[in-house]
Amino acid sequence: MSPDSPRHRAAQTRYFETRDATELLSASAAVLQDLGFHVEESVHELGFLRAGKERSAREYGQEIGRVAVLILSLGKLIIPVDLHQKIAATLVARPTDTSGTRHEVRIMFYRVVWQGDGHRNDDYVPPGGQRMEMVRDPVVYEQFFAKLSKAVFLEAFTL
Amino acid sequence: MKRFHAAVRRKAPFFAPALLLAATLLLAACNAPQPGPDILAPTEEQTKLRSFQSRTLEVADRQVALRAVMAVLQDLGFIIERANEQLGLVTAARFAEPNFNDLVAVTVTVRAVDAGHMLVRANAVHNNRPVVDPETYQRFFAALERSLFLTKG
Repeated sequence: MSPDSPRHRAAQTRYFETRDATELLSASAAVLQDLGFHVEESVHELGFLRAGKERSAREYGQEIGRVAVLILSLGKLIIPVDLHQKIAATLVARPTDTSGTRHEVRIMFYRVVWQGDGHRNDDYVPPGGQRMEMVRDPVVYEQFFAKLSKAVFLEAFTL
Repeated sequence: MKRFHAAVRRKAPFFAPALLLAATLLLAACNAPQPGPDILAPTEEQTKLRSFQSRTLEVADRQVALRAVMAVLQDLGFIIERANEQLGLVTAARFAEPNFNDLVAVTVTVRAVDAGHMLVRANAVHNNRPVVDPETYQRFFAALERSLFLTKG
């Protein structure tokens, strides 16, 4: 249980000067909906939201790479490509002080990718290989918080 | 025909013990191992595990404690999966990066002991195997106490 890097934490967190936690949470849900997520779980007492969306994970780069490897390995190696992904987000909004004038919103995006089948020498690689990763691109988080601050008519602060 | 009987008779001494052995094995297979009366009794190990998975904290409000738990889990890089205010329950998971197939899951429950204290219990599982290292839990509780102290001040 090592602490997450402060850089990731900074990207995932913004502060809002507001007393209205419920408004912040419902605006967050609305923004996630705008981004194509559907809300899977919500607990308003704890300021918690979880949302997800499933999309295709096929990329031209991977398909081209697959063909290139197939040719270079003289037909012995067909690497599996990513087929499907689930992108999910969990969000927690909480007051940072006892008087509740400032709220912290922390969101984490992550994705699970499912791979198709392939071949290694004469061995068949079955489909369904799974890979999980956190979304670390700060631009994704910036976009989310820009939308959120527009939705609540408030400026988002970083510390 | 006579020759066949003779052959069987000649082989019989070898057949009989083999048949007996097979029959014994078959019968033994029918007899499933019976669970002892102590199968659900707590072992010393479980008691020890439980003692370092739990900690009593000086918080009066369960919601404050739960929010602190969620914040600490997020700080540790966990993804909150489920939270339930009424039951005081939080479950979270984390990909054990850089290995993308490993998963650490944790369940935390918060319950009131008396007016000013909350009992926090955390269970961590790494790839479906319980984490029994006390240090892991100590680190979690240290972070939790720090977080609670900060929100109090």
